Amino acid sequence: MTLLPQFLLDALLLGGLYCLMAVGLALCFGVTRIINFAHGEMIMFGAYGAFLLSVHFGIDPLLSLPLVALGVALIGFLVFKLCVQRVLDAPHVNQILLLFGVGLILQNIAVLIFTGDERSVTTAYSLASDQFFGMMVAYGRLIAFAVSIGLTVGLIVWLRISEMGRAIQAVAQQRDAAKLMGINVTAMYMVSFMVSAALGSATGAAMSFLLTITPFMGFHILIKGFAIVVLGGLGSVGGTLIAAFVLAFVETGVSYYVPEGGGWAEGVALAVLLMVLILRPRGFLGQAVDN
Amino acid sequence: MRAFRYIRHMVMGALCGLFITGGIAHAQKVIRIGAPLELTGKFVIYGSQGQRGLEMAVEAFAGTVAGHRIEVLLRDIQSTNQGAVSAMTDLLEKEKVDFLIGPIASGLVSAAVPAWRQRKPLWIVPGASALSFEEAIAGESMVFHTYAWGYGYHTGPANALAAAFGKGKKVAIIYSDGAYGRSHLPDARKHYTEAGFQIVATELVRENAADMNPALQKIRLTKPDVLVALMQTTDGIVVAKQIHVAKLGIPILVGSAFPQFQTWVDAVGEAANGWITAVAYLAGQAVPADPKYPRIFPAAKDWEAAFTKKYNREPELIDAMVYTSAAMLFLAIDRAGGGDKERVAKELRNLGVETIMGEGKFVPTPGGAVNQAFNEMFVIQRQGDKIVTVWPKARSNGQFKPIQ
Amino acid sequence: MPFAATAVVNDWIISAASMVILAVSWNLAANAGLISLGHSAFWGVGTYTAVLSANKLGLPLVLALIPAMLIGALLGVLLAVITGRLRGIFFAISTLALSEGLRVIAVMTPGFTGGGEGIYVNPQLRIGAHWVAAIMVVGALISILVAWAISRTSWHFAFRAMRANESAAQMLGVRPIGFRVWVLALAGAMAAFAGGVRVWYGGFVDPGIAFDLHITIFAQIGPLLGGIYTLAGPVIGALLSVLLSEAARIWFGTQGFGLLVYGVALVLCILFLPHGIWGGLQRLWTFGRRRIRGEQ
Repeated sequence: MTLLPQFLLDALLLGGLYCLMAVGLALCFGVTRIINFAHGEMIMFGAYGAFLLSVHFGIDPLLSLPLVALGVALIGFLVFKLCVQRVLDAPHVNQILLLFGVGLILQNIAVLIFTGDERSVTTAYSLASDQFFGMMVAYGRLIAFAVSIGLTVGLIVWLRISEMGRAIQAVAQQRDAAKLMGINVTAMYMVSFMVSAALGSATGAAMSFLLTITPFMGFHILIKGFAIVVLGGLGSVGGTLIAAFVLAFVETGVSYYVPEGGGWAEGVALAVLLMVLILRPRGFLGQAVDN
Repeated sequence: MRAFRYIRHMVMGALCGLFITGGIAHAQKVIRIGAPLELTGKFVIYGSQGQRGLEMAVEAFAGTVAGHRIEVLLRDIQSTNQGAVSAMTDLLEKEKVDFLIGPIASGLVSAAVPAWRQRKPLWIVPGASALSFEEAIAGESMVFHTYAWGYGYHTGPANALAAAFGKGKKVAIIYSDGAYGRSHLPDARKHYTEAGFQIVATELVRENAADMNPALQKIRLTKPDVLVALMQTTDGIVVAKQIHVAKLGIPILVGSAFPQFQTWVDAVGEAANGWITAVAYLAGQAVPADPKYPRIFPAAKDWEAAFTKKYNREPELIDAMVYTSAAMLFLAIDRAGGGDKERVAKELRNLGVETIMGEGKFVPTPGGAVNQAFNEMFVIQRQGDKIVTVWPKARSNGQFKPIQ
Repeated sequence: MPFAATAVVNDWIISAASMVILAVSWNLAANAGLISLGHSAFWGVGTYTAVLSANKLGLPLVLALIPAMLIGALLGVLLAVITGRLRGIFFAISTLALSEGLRVIAVMTPGFTGGGEGIYVNPQLRIGAHWVAAIMVVGALISILVAWAISRTSWHFAFRAMRANESAAQMLGVRPIGFRVWVLALAGAMAAFAGGVRVWYGGFVDPGIAFDLHITIFAQIGPLLGGIYTLAGPVIGALLSVLLSEAARIWFGTQGFGLLVYGVALVLCILFLPHGIWGGLQRLWTFGRRRIRGEQ
């Protein structure tokens, strides 16, 4: 039995997951130029939301996803109003540290509320699989993939078609011009921050039945998401999509075909990132960003 | 107005930084126990169990030993090495405690060793199964290790499986690249080989990896009879789910420690079925009370009932382990008639009690640890909703059931 | 009990002095427009070089620090060369990738670095905490001195030009790549020094400690709380951050609130002291003078 079909499938499914991890970050950066270091915590809250609703009310994570997204969007709203709004024009370092602090607060609140116990949602489909054409298809991962792609495409369409989406894009491209056109820039910032938080929580909900939920799960995911966003071109949602799959194929390929590859995979992915940065700093589809 | 704003900012900033220094003076006769624990940060799950176990132990002695009030100096090490070093230094050099319990996580205990060496107080370590720690404290008579060494997780299952299924079976190992997986790998390799197994694959996965299927698929090609997973619970959840989904067709699954935890079972659901592990403590076992000190070392079911009443949850391994270790320490202090650490150490070494963790007696190990207790482990398998003890024969209540 | 307090005070001194070095090092790079998100790379490389050279060659701390600083500087040069024209956020992310990549290498080469299990500093080579503290303080003073000396030379102006606009600086006759190499080499050596000394205090290192991304964050907290691009700011800020984190740990740690309180303090400081303490004081000072002179 050859590993090739399974490798292609695993990489594809992982790519979908990576895509969702990064797309919220990409939106937030593309519009507000802020690297949301608390994004990992939005993912974490989303995962806990899905977990609690599943355990206490028996609601499937896929059904509770909109509710969870709404709740975490509210957290995003609070974080924006109380903190982010005050540092919109501050240097990147101030924003990074501020959001790191916010993340630290959210993480420790999560420890107090949820304790440090490891959790994961168990649903029938998360443990089901079938064999097709020499590939074992894990339904849980397939569903998470569908959710990821659905949300990402939904985001792209929303940005293209809806009035608000276009206003957000206008702000992302030229904030002063957008202001002159009568667009409320701060409101657009707020909306994209909230949508980004909601996407983060959707990531958490979609992963709640695949991965382990702890108050500390956010940081690793953040770093990964960060690498994907940069690789795709800062702020470009389409580029993020491509980068997520490139990274997933590289990592899975190394894991499959290199001895001890599972350990080296992340290093190889970082090397790819570094190379792309050096050769083409703006990433696959990004615009040039100064400072 | 701008000046005013700056002043306001300055004052706010200053207030943020303003904390009042001070300590608390102690006058009456007290025994001080330093407890550097993981109260926050990523190992908070261990620290909070440790804190509960300590509380229960102090309560069992009604807060006093040998006419001294027990004072536990809790210190948060924030699950960081620097936190561990700072807390140890504070407890040893400023508070000058002669007794220490904790930390628990392997890496943090390793990080605390150099700090401990400065004054070498009596140190109870209810954690850290890594062999590198055993080497680091070899020959140290003031260290009392109350957790099984890593090899305990492999000798038991390896011998039990060899006895049940015969020699020559094929074993594959999947391990995490963290301290835990790496330190277990040589032991697992050695003990399964010695028990007559053939190691056909060792695959590494990254800690916190989102996908472990590549390693599992490579293992599948070697067609093993036994799969041994060496990792901590966080990765144990992902790997168990993926093994279940991948339908690897491996009849025997062994996990290092995670299959014993209820949190793991809750997280993986039916994928928990069939997993085998070695345990030093498990709630719900029929363990009688100590004949001499039944109040301190009650029967397992009584202690577990008291624990559940107090904390509204079932005790887990570290709850029980820290309780038992602390209770043994307090008993030794009581018998030594006070806080002289050499005399207490002597009493501890002479102690022999029946505890919820089994026989509470310190013995030297071949690996060089001078005082080791609770190194005996038994092997369990999760069969449906039941936990069946399969090894050693004397306490078993069932047999291995390979996964279909 | 003066002696009893010493060890704890040593602990604080070592923490504070190492944070000062990190802050000065980070600020030095930031001065030239190079915002680093990977100071843990320098720190970690310094840590491992110091431990490995000491354990393998039997070097005492002071000698082991020489290779540590050299390798740290070399890494800085390497970073400057490979990142070439990268600026701002792109440079920042390359440093982050570098640090994470080094961590992966440390994890995956257990035969050399001890891997995930970590390694101890040979106990025979360890020295008293007061010596470690003294060396760290000397290092902190020297790094402050270096930063001061640079601020007195024409480099200072070159930096400011590079920070504002690297291409324009090039037109003015500043060779940015040359400066980058020097700045990152210096910053790298400083951070590697701090990491190398710190491991002598803890006596143990694993990849998670050495390349901890929180080191990167701590390196920024000092300059930001104190006042970025200033000389005194990073020093003041680093001291304040150690005070804050220790206070939070000691008073709130046992209830499990330590990190929460620290996070709140950090957020409040950034919100209400956007220019840092020293920066705020400077602004207050110039504002007051203008007021007196009757300017707007």
